[in-house]
Order: sequence, then C-alpha cells, then structure tokens
Amino acid sequence: MNWLTRISITCFAASYLVVLVVDLLRVWMPKSAIRSTIKMVFCFAGFFAHTVFLAYHTNLSLDQSGLWLGSWFGWALAGAWLLMLAQLWLIFKKSNSNIGLFLLPIVLGLIGWGTLIGSETLFTADREKTIWSAVHGISLLMGTVVVALGFVFGIMYLVHLKRLKSKSVSASGQFRLPSLEWLQLNTERSLLVSAGFLSLGLISGIALNLTRTSDGIVIPWLHPVIWTSAALFGWLVFACLGSKFYQPARNGRKVAVLVLFSFLFLVIELGIAWSFGHGTGVSQ
Amino acid sequence: MNMLVVGCSHHVADAAIRERVAFAPDQVSVFLDTYYQKYPNTEAVLLSTCNRTEVYVMSDQTDSVPSRRDLVELLSSRPGIATEDLDNALYDHRGSEAVSHLFSVSSSLDSMVVGESQIISQVKQAYETATNALAKSPLIHRTFDAAIRVAKRVSTETKIHQNPVSVPSVAINVLARRIFERFDNKQILVLGAGEMATETLTYLKAAGAKKLTVANRTHERAVSLAEQFGGQTAPWSELQDQLAIADLVVSTTGAKQPIVDHNDFESIMKQRGQKMLFVLDLAIPRDFDQRIGKAFDNVVLYSLDDLQRECERNMDSRKGQWPKARRIVKDETDRFFRDSRRRASGSTIAQLKQQANSIKDEELERLLNRLDSVSDLDRQQIEKSFHRLTNKLLHPPLESVREESATDDGDPSSVGLLEAMRRLFKLD
Repeated sequence: MNWLTRISITCFAASYLVVLVVDLLRVWMPKSAIRSTIKMVFCFAGFFAHTVFLAYHTNLSLDQSGLWLGSWFGWALAGAWLLMLAQLWLIFKKSNSNIGLFLLPIVLGLIGWGTLIGSETLFTADREKTIWSAVHGISLLMGTVVVALGFVFGIMYLVHLKRLKSKSVSASGQFRLPSLEWLQLNTERSLLVSAGFLSLGLISGIALNLTRTSDGIVIPWLHPVIWTSAALFGWLVFACLGSKFYQPARNGRKVAVLVLFSFLFLVIELGIAWSFGHGTGVSQ
Repeated sequence: MNMLVVGCSHHVADAAIRERVAFAPDQVSVFLDTYYQKYPNTEAVLLSTCNRTEVYVMSDQTDSVPSRRDLVELLSSRPGIATEDLDNALYDHRGSEAVSHLFSVSSSLDSMVVGESQIISQVKQAYETATNALAKSPLIHRTFDAAIRVAKRVSTETKIHQNPVSVPSVAINVLARRIFERFDNKQILVLGAGEMATETLTYLKAAGAKKLTVANRTHERAVSLAEQFGGQTAPWSELQDQLAIADLVVSTTGAKQPIVDHNDFESIMKQRGQKMLFVLDLAIPRDFDQRIGKAFDNVVLYSLDDLQRECERNMDSRKGQWPKARRIVKDETDRFFRDSRRRASGSTIAQLKQQANSIKDEELERLLNRLDSVSDLDRQQIEKSFHRLTNKLLHPPLESVREESATDDGDPSSVGLLEAMRRLFKLD
C-alpha cells in the first residue's frame, strides 16, 4: 500500500482549487457539459484523496499511541473534509447553484491553516480524559463546521437578496444561488445546530477541566480560552433565541448577519485557543 | 413526392380572420372526410391552432395534389367565410418549401412566441387525427414523423426553448422560484381577474400553488376565476388583511392610481412579522408604490417593466439560437428529400430491372427455340451474354439516377432523371 503514502495535501487541495476555478468559469460557460464533468471528477477525486489521507494518518497515529486527528492540523483537515462532504451533498441537492464559490474558499482556508501550523503537537492521550476529550473535540469540530456552513448560507442569502432587490437576477444568468427561502431556512438551522454542538463542546470542556489528572493539567477558569468559549456560546444562544422569538430579528437578512457574526466570533475563539496552545497539553 | 400547404397564420392574418378560418377539434375530422371525398388519391393533414390554420396535402403522383384554388374553396365552404377574402389572407408553399415550412412550424420557429412548447403537441394531435381519417397514409407518416424528429432536434441541440419569454412565465418560473423553494404552502393573493391574472394563475398552478386567493373590485369575476383554479375569494375591502398574510402577491388590476401606497404598507409590515413578501406588480399603471420595494428589507417588488426587461433578454437569447435552429431545419429538409428520392429511385430501378429482365428472358427463350441442338455449355454462354448485355445497357442510366438521388441539388419536386426514366421506359 505504498501509494497511500504518496497521497499528499497537495493532491486534494489542488483538486479543490480546480473545482473552485471551474465554478468561477461558470460565469463565462453557464451551460457546459465539459465544465460540469471536470467539476464532478475533481470533486470526487479530491474527496477520495482527502479521505484516504485522513484515514491513513489516523491509523498511523493510533499505531504510535497518539491521536493525530486531535492535533490542530488533523482537526483542521477533518473540518475541511466535513465541509467537502457537505459540498458534495449540495452538488446533488442544488446542482444548479454556485455554492462551491462560497464554500470552497473556507475548505481551502482550513487546509491552508492546518498546513501552516503543522502537526507536531498532539492532544494528551490520557486514558481518563479520552471520552471527554473525544466529545469535546468532536462537538467543537462539528460546531465549527456547522457555523462555517451557516456563514456560507448567510453570505449567499445576503448576496441573493441584494441581487433580487437590485433586479439583476436573470433566467439566463450564469451565477445561480438556491432560493431565498432555502437559504434562510438553512441559515436558521445552522445557527441552532451549531449552538447545540458548541454548547456540548463547552460542557465537555468543563467536564474535562474538572477531571484532574496525574500531571495536574487544569485550565484556570479565567483563562481567555474559557471565557471566549463562554462568550461564543452566549452569543449563539442569544442569536438563536432572538431569531426564534424576537420579531425584528426574524427578518432573513438579520438572521444572516447574526450568523456572520457567529462565524467571526468562532474565528476569534479558534485563534485564541490556538495561540494559547489549547488542547495540546502545552498551554498551561 | 408532391406537397402543398395552404394556410394562414399570425404572420399574415389578424385575429378576426384567424378566428373565422379556425377549426374546432371535432370539425377537423369532418373537413378531412369532405376532402377525401373529392381527392381520394392524396393524403391531407389539417393543423388548426389559435394562431394558424394550415392544410397540408401530399401525393406520390406528379400533379395529382389539389391546387391552391381547390383548397381555398374547400376551406371557405363553411358559412361566414368568403372565398375572395380568404384567398387574400392565405399563403402557400410547395415541395421542399412546404416541407421546410412544416419543420419550422413543428419546431416552433414560426410561432408567435418563438420556442414555445405547445405547438409540437398540436402538430402531433393534427397528425393523429389525419391518420385516423385515412387508414393507409404512408406520406403523412413519413412527413410528420420527420417533423416531430426535427422539433426534438431543435429542442435538444439549441437553447431556443430554455428561457421563458412571457411576463407571467418569467415572473413565476424565474423570479418566484428564486425566492420560494415550494409553492404548495405559500399564501398567494391575486389582485384583479383579467387575462394577465388568468395566465399567471396557470403558471402558479403548474408550480404547485394550492392556497390561492383572488380579490377583485367586481367580486363576481373573482369568484369565476377562483373557481377555475380551485382557489378562494376575498372581498376587496379586506385587501390590507390579505396583504398581511400573503407570501406572494400578483397584482393585475386596471386601477388608475396605486392601490397600495408606502404608508399603508408600513402598517401591513407590522402585522406580517418580518415574513418575506414577493410582489409582482403586473399592472399598468402600477398598483404598488415603488418605494415599498426599497424601504422594506423583506419585500421584493417587481413591476411589469422589470419583468419586461427579463423577457427581452430571454427573447434575445432565443434569437441568438435562431441560425442554429434554421440550419437544423435545412439539414432535415435536405435529408427528407434525399431519403424520399432514394426510396423512389430504389423502386424505379427495381421496376426497370424487372422490365429489362423480362424482355431479356423473352428474347432468350425465342432465340433458343429457333436454334437446334444447342449444347448446355453454349446455352450457358448465351444466357450469360444476354445477362451482361442487359446489365451493361442499364448500368449508365441507373448509376446516373443513383447519383442524382444522393445529391441535395435541385428542386426535389421538379422532373428529374427519375421521372424522365419513368416516362421513357413507361414504368408505372
């Protein structure tokens, strides 16, 4: 299985880049069977390479009693993989829309970020902490992915609404997006689901912090990582409740703006967590 | 094959004449029965839609199809149509032009709205009625099967059908679908009960709309329209309440002043609770104050002018496909006549060969009867000689006929080598 080792990040990142370029080409080639075929081929090829890469390195790290997926690098690549899974689903669900133009830059951004920070540091593979670590890592990963999806839907909503209001939507238009109704519904859903995942991440983080280990690693309660996480969670709860019950905030545009802010908060939160070496066992 | 089409369409006749010439579905069969009583050795198809009435007649025999005058008389045999009036309003096409015209009609290149999809089903209906009226109709089958094939080619190989060009179809199939994912759960309010409202409701119904409410100043007309589309009515006095619950409003009234102004709308928006509203103002003068679309985030307001621009863009896009579609029609017309000539030449060649072989056999038999004691070997040589002679004599003319039938040159209905051969050798 030597070929597995030859699959590199460049393989799938380049494939995704080709898909993004092909999506951009739609502006000049709105109906082209060749363009659609190239897009599908590169999308699936990239996703396959991405899957193999993740599986191979996870397996390798388990053999070495490490948790590769728990590193920031692995975590970013897993997030990008989940977003690509969503992209593939959306290609079939909304085949006539240019969703890739909005989603793929985030996928590539995550891959780029993961590559930049490297994979030297790992989460501590403490036996007592394993379950809480897994819940904490996975729920934060899922929450991040869903917030990113909500961000994409929110941006698309605002762009689509602007085009409709300025009357620049055309049947023969090259740039197509899903209906406003679909975008608003999915923006609201992503807000709710992300709040659910991030609250689980926060709760599991607290549980993890309460579980004292032999090395005595505990994050102080006033650590920036903790209070920014709590602030993000509070914001998401506020946004969810507001969009559900506060009438002026039920406006689709306002929901989209709430989601954009959520994404911004998440990026800040991840930046703080990463800069403090959160989860690597070296932060405190 | 000889073919003649006589008819009138929106290109040459106004609605008043077209209405008088048009045939109801049950009248088409009656017309064809009358036609076959007079011209039993030909085949005919009557195509009658709201925009055209055309009679296609065809025959395999030269000069055997009825003349234009005969067809005009037949068409004007019904009361209310004077032959002279009709004669001035009709056009005619013959031979390859008639076939090309049929192909243009079936592929909707001759339609009022180029690219509309209804015409092909009307052509199919006319074809079916014609074949029901005449059991053995090989020419109709050949011609109309080709016409349907051409329509399919134009539809699949060009984008002429792709973008809608009527205001209601653009409004619903393009714009409303960009806003709403589905229509069955949307509250739709139609203001006015005229032609535009009817057409828009047709598209809404096709899109799956179920909750339809019609409001009109003349309530009876609203009731009639609502019944037609399975909707309900609302009194005009409840306009504000209806606007507060609607998801989509189609306004088509003939009011001289806007029926909803900016101030009215503020109170309506308060009742709506930030719900998205799409307003299609298809009225002239406009029914909705244009400031509404700009002032409220969750209101998308399109007027007739906005939609008209989209229709024109789509029409331009269809026009861009016109040369490609015309090329397909020309290719298919050439192919049709090439096939017809090949078929006809094959039959004539077979007849000529049969005739030549029959003469050869007769002469051979006569010669052998006159000769005494011919050995088997000599007999075989004589037979071979006769056979070669016949073939050598026939080869050049038959080759010329084959070559002519394989080319696209010349008018296919004109008298060519094939016809000359038939006459020279007195073939049936």
